[in-house]
Amino acid sequence: MAVASAPVATSAERAARRERRIGEVLLAVENISLRFGGVRALSNVSFDIRRGEIRAIIGPNGAGKSSMLNVINGFYQPQEGRIVWKGRVFTRMRPHEAAKGGIARTFQNIALFKGMSTLDNIMTGRILKMRASFLEQAFRIGRGRSEELRERAFVERIIDFLEITHIRHVPVGKLPYGLQKRVELARALAMEPELLLLDEPMAGMNLEEKEDMCRFILDVNEEFGTTVALIEHDMSVVMDISDRVVVLDYGRLLADGTPEEVRNDPAVIEAYLGVAHG
Amino acid sequence: MIYRETGQFRTSYAEDQAIFRLREDRIGIAAILAIAWVGVPLLADEYLLRAILIPFLILSLAAIGLNLLLGYCGQISLGTGAFMAVGAYSAYNLALRLPELPLLLDFFLAGLIAAGVGIVFGLPSFRIKGLYLAVATLALQFFADWAFLRVRWFTNYTPSGSVTAPVLDFFGWVVDTEREKYWLCLAFVCAIALLAKNLVRSRLGRSWMAIRDMDIAAEIIGIRPMHAKLSAFAVSSFVAGLAGVLWAFVHLGSWEPLAFSIDMSFRLLFMVIIGGMGSILGSFLGAAFITILPIFLNQAPAMIGIRLSTAMVSHLEFMIFGTLIVLFLIWEPHGLARLWQIGKEKMRLWPFPY
Repeated sequence: MAVASAPVATSAERAARRERRIGEVLLAVENISLRFGGVRALSNVSFDIRRGEIRAIIGPNGAGKSSMLNVINGFYQPQEGRIVWKGRVFTRMRPHEAAKGGIARTFQNIALFKGMSTLDNIMTGRILKMRASFLEQAFRIGRGRSEELRERAFVERIIDFLEITHIRHVPVGKLPYGLQKRVELARALAMEPELLLLDEPMAGMNLEEKEDMCRFILDVNEEFGTTVALIEHDMSVVMDISDRVVVLDYGRLLADGTPEEVRNDPAVIEAYLGVAHG
Repeated sequence: MIYRETGQFRTSYAEDQAIFRLREDRIGIAAILAIAWVGVPLLADEYLLRAILIPFLILSLAAIGLNLLLGYCGQISLGTGAFMAVGAYSAYNLALRLPELPLLLDFFLAGLIAAGVGIVFGLPSFRIKGLYLAVATLALQFFADWAFLRVRWFTNYTPSGSVTAPVLDFFGWVVDTEREKYWLCLAFVCAIALLAKNLVRSRLGRSWMAIRDMDIAAEIIGIRPMHAKLSAFAVSSFVAGLAGVLWAFVHLGSWEPLAFSIDMSFRLLFMVIIGGMGSILGSFLGAAFITILPIFLNQAPAMIGIRLSTAMVSHLEFMIFGTLIVLFLIWEPHGLARLWQIGKEKMRLWPFPY
């Protein structure tokens, strides 16, 4: 009996630990509206992401989930609304500002640098941490040398953490899909982000790869305290690992709450399953 | 069995980041450098130095310049000849109008001026890509052809438009024999090749490659596309400008604007494509191939007893170049450098490939 209840207890413990860790609002999107010509991609969407939580964004295809991430890290400029990032108000975010501010992201269809090795790809994630001047780099002296070694050591820790040591020197174009996704996560982690945006990190993966990815996301969240916002279609994953869930549908906010609340929300059930008429 | 990495352990990141990681590679490059610095000048005759080796070295340098821009940063340029011209005429005017400056400083400043022009003509790269950018750089090529022909100030109002380089006097070392000219070019090429290699394996080089491979992803990790592209234009034109100075001052001696026409730009583009985009080694291989092939075509038929007219030879040259470029673009877009790399991979396993 005691043995059987042990995992339950740890899981409850874990939940409690996470509860304690979740802190103040890290990012808030307020009344965001985004239009492409006549198409309304997002209308008046507001929600927040708290420090340390895993926040899922779900919704049917075309609901505006990816657009929302693009607004957060500055690819799209919303026509209305604002973004509050760590207390600072932005009406428009620029991609490099977002990167500097500590927002990293991965893409639904992998956006790696195909001609470069795994190691170089992850090293690009450290670009903002490097300060060597042009001449120091050209002559490989001073910071041009020391930074390369320091950042390499940092990157090796991530490579180790994500279990991709064996493909360090392989050009990423040659890697299978699942590993490419992992390298992309590694590159985002190399930025030491405060907020990690993951656009369908498990799309197209088999069960085993999905489990690995879930484990990595949970580990990142627990060990580094990184806040995670992810888009995912696999409901069992979403319900399992996320603390709170936002549901979008046709660019509107449909529901916002814990997985339990969202699962039982009539509007969500209607959007996903349809509703019986008659 | 000769070339393998078994038993060579790298125990620090510094060792792992070395340019030549394998002992065999280090021995190879040391041998090549020794031959280039000592062996060749002792053995080669004047004709070989003047007609083949010096042009080869200078064109390698220019090809490195173009490769930084095209191969590493992915920005197509048809204006390399123009950047060389800017370098050459800048150095000429600096030496003419500010004779008190040392010649080496003239060379350096000419490179900087070319870099400045490169930045200005790199500005369109922020809005346009690919073929359209190629056309924009083509505009620079025609502009430079026009400017150096028509703006007489650049050529010091010489009636023919042809100008002559000053005496090559480097702090008292007067470079006048072919052997000394060869050493001078070799020194520049070795230095620039090393600096370029260092750059492409540092932050700047990685940000160029990131822009080349996927500019959107580069932006989200904090690379500013404008900064990366313009720095690539600047560095590339600096190197091309320097190559232009050497081409004019060392190889030609006296020259007219036609020396840097669009033909030159295309030749350099061919070198980079055949040699290997995104490879410093490839720049050398491409330059060697393009300078040596015509000579080979001249000699080879005679050796096996076939007499071809000179017109035939030059036509053959064009046909072979054209065919090769098409073949390389189809089968091996990374050029000779990639073939060399594949060869090395095979060598590592030879004679037991499984």
